[in-house]
Amino acid sequence: MIKLNGKEKPECKNIDTLLGEHQYDRKRVAVLVNGEIVKRDNWADFDLKPGDEVDVVTFVGGG
Amino acid sequence: MSYQIGGRNLKSRFFIGSGKLSSYTVIPKMVEKAGVEVITVAVRRIDPDAKHENVMDFIPEQCVVMVNTSGARSADEAVRIARIGRELTGSDWIKIEVETDAKYLLPDNEETLKAAEILVDEGFQVFPYISPDLVAAKKLEKAGVAAVMPLAAPIGTNKGITCAALLQPIINEIEIPVIIDAGLGRPSHAASAMELGADAVLANTAIATATDPIMMAVAMAKAVEAGRMAYEMGLLAEKDFADASSPLTGFLRRGA
Repeated sequence: MIKLNGKEKPECKNIDTLLGEHQYDRKRVAVLVNGEIVKRDNWADFDLKPGDEVDVVTFVGGG
Repeated sequence: MSYQIGGRNLKSRFFIGSGKLSSYTVIPKMVEKAGVEVITVAVRRIDPDAKHENVMDFIPEQCVVMVNTSGARSADEAVRIARIGRELTGSDWIKIEVETDAKYLLPDNEETLKAAEILVDEGFQVFPYISPDLVAAKKLEKAGVAAVMPLAAPIGTNKGITCAALLQPIINEIEIPVIIDAGLGRPSHAASAMELGADAVLANTAIATATDPIMMAVAMAKAVEAGRMAYEMGLLAEKDFADASSPLTGFLRRGA
């Protein structure tokens, strides 16, 4: 299992497959693994390990 | 009249926040009708089980997106959010917000300064949201921020300019632009901020929670413009006694 935005989810091979699996809009998200930003160019090469904490973030309305 | 801020030439002195809107769909019209050029957004996790509309799909391309670091409780968290923001938009405008006090959401000026020093080094245009403290503003200016954003009153309180005596020294003594942010609930508050000599104001709650956010954005924008015009002309001094507006001669009075 990995943690995706705080929720337990089954593992995925890498960031790119994880985003596809959960139908995230790739143009609109940034990804952090264990608190570190992973640049979009590296998503397909970034393999995920059990226990990794992945955050997928985007912009929301805010002041 | 255009002015320089954060490496850009802008015309509008009215910045808006995009929070608390009942729907992002009003944003394009609000931006157009109120002539807005700068709009703030926040960074949040997206719940994998609940997809929502994305605010970026509604912000017109010509707008400058200013990412805020709301939710950050320390300089490190603010820096991380700023980097995410740049990764997502390519925009280097960042509003530093570090708040540890949930009741009044007052900014932590000390952590804000730490974050500002790091982000200026990394090439960001840094806009720190601060409590109105001239000493903190001077340190931030020295650190190389693009502008300072002192609050008029706590976020979302609609109280207006509660601390003119603290804002005025910042406006007088700081060379970089001063943007009065937070607590402005009415057009008259925005006009007052501009009459004090602020370079711009930022409002969110006042617009987003109005019955008609587009109309309120227009009203606020007009007030900002009016306040700025008055400031540029020079405001008149208050007097203690009446000073007649009509001539004091030629009265139509018997026996005079």
